[in-house]
Amino acid sequence: MVPGSRGARRGAARDPQVDRARHGGLAANVVAFARMLRGRGLSIGPPEAADALRALSAVDLTDRLETYLALRAVLASGPEAQRIFDAAFWEFWGDMQQAVGAPPHGDGGAQALDGRGALDRVMIEWQEDGDAGVDGDRVPAYSPVEALTHKDFSTLSADELEEITTIVTAIARRVATRVSRRTRHARRGRLVDLRRTIRHSLRRGGEMLDILRRERKLQKTRVVLLCDVSGSMDLYSRFLIQFIFALQHAVARVETFVFSTGLSRITGSLARADLRAALEDVARQVPDWSGGTKIGRSLRRFLTDHARQALDGRTVVVIISDGWDTGEPDVLESAMAELHRRAARVIWLNPLLASPGYEPICQGMRAALPYVDVFAPAHNLDSLRRLERHLARRP
Amino acid sequence: MHSEINRIQELLANQGYVADRTIATSVYLSITLRKPLLIEGAAGVGKTEVAKVMARALDADLIRLQCYEGLDATTALYEWNYQKQLLHIRLSEGGERSLAEREAEIFSEGFLLKRPLLDAITRSQPPVLLVDEIDRADEEFEAFLLEVLSDFQVSIPEIGTIAATAIPNVVLTSNRTRELGDALRRRCLYLWIDYPTFEKELEIVRRRVPEINGRLAEQISAFMQLIRRLRLDKAPGVAETLDWSAALMALHRDHLDRAAVEETLGVLFKHHDDAAVVRAQWLDQLLDGVAVLEQEGRPWSQEAVVRAAERLAIRK
Repeated sequence: MVPGSRGARRGAARDPQVDRARHGGLAANVVAFARMLRGRGLSIGPPEAADALRALSAVDLTDRLETYLALRAVLASGPEAQRIFDAAFWEFWGDMQQAVGAPPHGDGGAQALDGRGALDRVMIEWQEDGDAGVDGDRVPAYSPVEALTHKDFSTLSADELEEITTIVTAIARRVATRVSRRTRHARRGRLVDLRRTIRHSLRRGGEMLDILRRERKLQKTRVVLLCDVSGSMDLYSRFLIQFIFALQHAVARVETFVFSTGLSRITGSLARADLRAALEDVARQVPDWSGGTKIGRSLRRFLTDHARQALDGRTVVVIISDGWDTGEPDVLESAMAELHRRAARVIWLNPLLASPGYEPICQGMRAALPYVDVFAPAHNLDSLRRLERHLARRP
Repeated sequence: MHSEINRIQELLANQGYVADRTIATSVYLSITLRKPLLIEGAAGVGKTEVAKVMARALDADLIRLQCYEGLDATTALYEWNYQKQLLHIRLSEGGERSLAEREAEIFSEGFLLKRPLLDAITRSQPPVLLVDEIDRADEEFEAFLLEVLSDFQVSIPEIGTIAATAIPNVVLTSNRTRELGDALRRRCLYLWIDYPTFEKELEIVRRRVPEINGRLAEQISAFMQLIRRLRLDKAPGVAETLDWSAALMALHRDHLDRAAVEETLGVLFKHHDDAAVVRAQWLDQLLDGVAVLEQEGRPWSQEAVVRAAERLAIRK
């Protein structure tokens, strides 16, 4: 758990902050360290830095391990954050031997600080660099690479579009709503609202003439759509884009990603009402349209970069792919296991499933199947209709 | 080392947490900085025990709120005592009092049932509040909890605002079945508890099952280290190690062999599939691993266990 002592330190490019702060007091060092962590993606602001300063004033600063543990408890709020913290700690405080190794006298570091005092000190230090946002959260941004291949989506007929939209909307309702454990007032609910019934009865001298009721709420589920757009899916791409688009409009909270060798988030470009423009946008944005597929790696990317925002226990994950994975089956399997664990349901739509002679025998598909709740064909309108009916039978 | 951290470490040691400074420092800071402590880690590594140790360190009561999906304010915070209200209405029938007076009467504190959260903030001595498996509650509850934990007051429409008489020390545990919100994480100190090393697990077994013989304790601890290297749905935790030790003792086994393990495999695994996989594919290698260690001679160590595992290709 504790990284090897000085050997773990990296001699590479040092932060300019480090040099500036190393001669300052403990507060300046803590703030510089907090800013360094923030620069590496941890969400740390002045309140956390203030807590770090308070923590240091509560432990034995001559004890290196204790100092390390105290700072980590306050500043790293998850396993991933702890890894980042570990690397940064030795890099920063390794150089800071003087500031921590010898107990600092006279700079106020060793005396106990209350919350207010610590925050004041931190704010003084923090503002020197004129930092605008207090929130360090960074939204992963997609940087457009020059387009390699453009697909023409103009050949889908208007009728087809219409029909796809209708069915996908119905499917979305099936997968994206369920009965909540929470309740609300309702005239004809199945549950009795005792609290309101009793209160109401007081008006009639304690006689319970009316029973007031509650019912369970319908809960809107989130949907994450992960769509394979690699070469092996080429034939179906247009149809799939249509599926994506319709789903995006049918469900309020849907995040859409496309992948082949890499992963791109395209939720933004699909939020527009103009269908054609949206489709062209997708074609322009995805650099590796119709390349090879690394499903496992792409799913892993999704899990590390986006799952925190996009995925929770009531999210339905819909994967559209033929399962031809050119990557390691191991990677795919572990990613699928994690998806399955963290999402409410995993639905895999396979455009090849209905073709005669297709068995899900490719290694990737075989690795993924144990973690899939619904595995269904999606090669034409008819298969979608059947899927809709299939989902209707489920509770 | 800080003397208070030292004391907490001793308390931890009595619970089987051997020389764990990470945990002791986190508990100490949580108490000193008055920040909730969020503990994550696989099931069965003893997250809940930490709250118990904290309560002992502070000589405080432990109030536990077990989370589940759909947990809401009436189960977590307060509920009206309807039976009592009804009785009271009946008993006061025919009185002279007005509707408003009677209403005020039955919606007063005497008719309130305190659930863990309200209970925790209205004690005269600050207790330790354990919010167990917060990841099983839904996001609405997380937001609600955050509100209670930052304001330490509760507003009840019929009564008004109840402010905390004592701020509890809060411990939250999560098995990571879903990611917790950033807001909650940022409010807490964070502690990750991993599976113990061979040495630590052996120490735990010896402390918690004192009547066990030395050889069996070592074999069990090594076996557990090996088993956790496999790809399983749910790897057995420390709780399972202790259950297994107790089971083997009850069957009067003094060493591990095929028969003993097969007989007791059910204690180790919560999933039938895991038990089946281990029995069919891995049991020989696992027992071989223990045999290799026996040949190498004592004392055994984490490194020796890892070497044996590598030699026999016991891995995912």
